[in-house]
Amino acid sequence: MIDDGIDNYETSKNFTPAEKIALKYSDLMDSDPDQIDEAFYDELKKHYSSEEIVELGSFIGFNIGYHTWFGTLGFYPMFTPDGRLVDQEESARIYGDKPISHTKGAMQRAVDGAPEEAAE
Amino acid sequence: MAIIEPIPLDQLNTEKLASRLERAQELMVPDTLFIQIMAHAPGYAEALFDAMYQSHALGNVDHSLKEIIRVRLARLAKDDYFGGLRSKKAIDAGLSEDRIEAGCGDFEADDQFSDAEKWALKYAKLMYTEPKKLDTAYYDLGKTYYTEPEIMELGAFIAFHYGLQLFMRTLKVMPLSTT
Repeated sequence: MIDDGIDNYETSKNFTPAEKIALKYSDLMDSDPDQIDEAFYDELKKHYSSEEIVELGSFIGFNIGYHTWFGTLGFYPMFTPDGRLVDQEESARIYGDKPISHTKGAMQRAVDGAPEEAAE
Repeated sequence: MAIIEPIPLDQLNTEKLASRLERAQELMVPDTLFIQIMAHAPGYAEALFDAMYQSHALGNVDHSLKEIIRVRLARLAKDDYFGGLRSKKAIDAGLSEDRIEAGCGDFEADDQFSDAEKWALKYAKLMYTEPKKLDTAYYDLGKTYYTEPEIMELGAFIAFHYGLQLFMRTLKVMPLSTT
């Protein structure tokens, strides 16, 4: 569902029209903010209140800003997708493949690298 | 009609926002319009203003340097609101428009900036244009000018302000007044 929301949200049947425009809002904020014009906001307002738009917009902006910065610091998550605590070297092996997707590789790499008792 | 209608000042929760509105009027970055917009989402005006104030007006890194960086980022984000604001604290400390322009231009060849200031300006420049260049070697060079807490202060400041500039850009609002 997360991968679908990133790669195919506009055509996917997993998402409602309200969810699709919120996903598009986040997509365009980073890739093509000129397209977030008054007409786009008019459409957004059919699905969300002003309160929710301010919440969504600032959340999206904040995340774009911080994800890029954190990317430069070279840190990786403390836990594997299945909840195992790992060191940064092991985490880099699991999550270092870009783009990071739990279903497309990270989960398998976590299982492959797990101690036998944890993998069982 | 505004994309998001600012909440009139007399309708804001003064118990929670009075001190923030005063600070906004003192620093002018952001001005009270930011609070009037963010107040639509409960808790957001307080949290976002506090983070913005903490990262910009407080800390150990020179406020005037951060003001130049902030304007440079706003231009990158094409945000006329934050790009038009100027910190009263930085102006009072002597920051001129000429120096802001120099910092937004070819600062690397400009003798008015120290090596430490050039590193910080380049850090902000590369963050959203060529982040892969901010590698271990770049951070190692930064540590010859700044402590790790100061680098965290700069990085968090850059990320936070640029992120909100991206959002504010789409709302097409302008500063309430000139400074």
